[in-house]
Amino acid sequence: MISLSKAEKSYIQAGILAQPPHRSDGRALHDFRTVALETGVAPLANGSARLTIGRSLRGGGGTEVLAATKLEVEDVKAGGVDGGRVVCSVTCSPAAYPHLSSGALEDLQYDMTTIVNQTLSHPSLHPSNLGIVKGQKSWLLNLDLIVLSDAGNVYDALFMAARAALWDTKVPRTRSIEYKAAAANRSTGGMEIDDASGLDTRQQPSIADFELHDFWDEGEPLEGREAWPVSVTLNLISPMYYLDASAQEEAATPLRLLLAFSFLPSGACLQGTRVLGIGELDAKTVKQGIEDGEKYAREVYTALNSKLKDEDVRRNQKASHRFARR
Amino acid sequence: MITFTSFPSTPAGEYDAVGHHHETDNEMEVDLDDDDLSSDGLRLTLPGDYLTSSQAFMRGHGTYVHEDQVVASVAGTVERVNKLITVRAIRTRYNPEVGDLVVGRITEVQPRRWKVDANSRQDAVLMLSSVNLPGGVQRRKLESDELQMRNFFEEGDLLVAEVQAFFSDGAMSLHTRSLKYGKLRNGQLVIIPPILVRRLKSHFITLPCGVDLILGLNGYIWVSRHIKASDQAGEEGFDAEAVYSNQNDDIDEPTRGAIARVANIIHVLAAHFVPLTDTILLEAYEWSVEQEEAHKGLFQEDIAEALVASLHSRS
Repeated sequence: MISLSKAEKSYIQAGILAQPPHRSDGRALHDFRTVALETGVAPLANGSARLTIGRSLRGGGGTEVLAATKLEVEDVKAGGVDGGRVVCSVTCSPAAYPHLSSGALEDLQYDMTTIVNQTLSHPSLHPSNLGIVKGQKSWLLNLDLIVLSDAGNVYDALFMAARAALWDTKVPRTRSIEYKAAAANRSTGGMEIDDASGLDTRQQPSIADFELHDFWDEGEPLEGREAWPVSVTLNLISPMYYLDASAQEEAATPLRLLLAFSFLPSGACLQGTRVLGIGELDAKTVKQGIEDGEKYAREVYTALNSKLKDEDVRRNQKASHRFARR
Repeated sequence: MITFTSFPSTPAGEYDAVGHHHETDNEMEVDLDDDDLSSDGLRLTLPGDYLTSSQAFMRGHGTYVHEDQVVASVAGTVERVNKLITVRAIRTRYNPEVGDLVVGRITEVQPRRWKVDANSRQDAVLMLSSVNLPGGVQRRKLESDELQMRNFFEEGDLLVAEVQAFFSDGAMSLHTRSLKYGKLRNGQLVIIPPILVRRLKSHFITLPCGVDLILGLNGYIWVSRHIKASDQAGEEGFDAEAVYSNQNDDIDEPTRGAIARVANIIHVLAAHFVPLTDTILLEAYEWSVEQEEAHKGLFQEDIAEALVASLHSRS
């Protein structure tokens, strides 16, 4: 967190508490800065997204996050989980936090990794198509996020980028295959009796391995990708709160409430919460915050979804354009 | 409210679309005669541009010698003093000169001195002996002052000061020995590239919208509430006790709006690389008030473009 003088802090706080509220960049309390998003930025990843908050086209600046997923085949017997698993990690570029020592940077990365991983790898969100061969092989979904620069509101950026990358993820189609001994070996009845002995090593389930479908696209999207959560951070200067704090505003805010919601046809579901910062929070504020947070998260969710669909259209057009030129 | 946009298409993408002609483009030769290096012609370089022969000229800052040629190592403007060729970089840290007005932030309190971040290569130093202490200009510094240095400035505090001298290692020494200098309050800081701040007659600017500006030559700009002329330093309404105060005055709602608007204008101008002067700021402010309905003091990309275009058309 950047350092601010007491006068700057109280200027920001007094502005939020004023009637009507005034923020240092003229936004309304619940306005986001402009968010730019692009999916499919990493050609070697199964799904990827790049997201910036508050970056001006020419001036730069703003928060920037890169997210990418990579699928890896894992043996269930060698430490894997039947049905696959999701592992998230967050890395912070030292350039994003030039004032932090390497130790402090690692702590920060660890905090971010914990929040993102605990929320996204929760069983309630688990995609059902990560298994390959039951009891033997499954996909390990690695979601890696990199914070390239931080100008405030990095958690919302992380969750939005994670959702975009997971939305973009394609799981390769697989087909199970089994090994059969050549017919010549099974010619005599006596041999078959031998096969039944305890020394036999070929007594395996009929499905032994898998092969990749050779198909025109890269695979199928993750099951239940609608459910990946979005988060909103409520920056609390009691009794007011505001969204999408800039770095200066973050430094002047004692307490932040992070709420991650997923939206299903059946309704909204709170997938994770965190209280960041020092200060006290009473139950009433939390309750009110969750109610209001759901409303703002739904706005984020709707806007993000329509952007993701636009991105799919744009990439399909680009691909067909490429194809036509050949 | 949240809006999503796309990234601007990258040059590489456009390149892809038109096909591959790069072999022809790269053949452009950059040749430089003696006349091109004359001081009146402004010449921009890119890193790796050949400037001139190293036989006839000496290399200065921002250049290196490669195969008997002086080559620019930064993007910037070429300058020549007799036979010395230098390139002044466009994006760079602040290069201090004695007498410059700077805005800085305290990073460290040390024995009898403060360390100040002033966007330079090294932290600046503010000695306890070069600040005015409350209770009169002529007051002697006591041992007790050394023990309560954090009462004057503590970590994170912003101050306006003047560059007094340089240490042998190139770090600058600041002083605040004027009632105009000292701790800053009642406003917010905007940071822009130092090259965009011109040297002006006065770096204390008052805009008629009730906003005071301090244009630090290091690219730190303090935007704050206007202090009435009768309350300014040296006048009878001046509150000498408040020099080291951390307490903001009451700031009314229109003033807050004006401060935010001025800060946004400065961000826009910096993004479009327009050098700041008081007249440009004033014109931009008037333009943005005229367009009030459209943007309420916020600048989306299209409005920012329109603002900069209108400034160019006026000048």
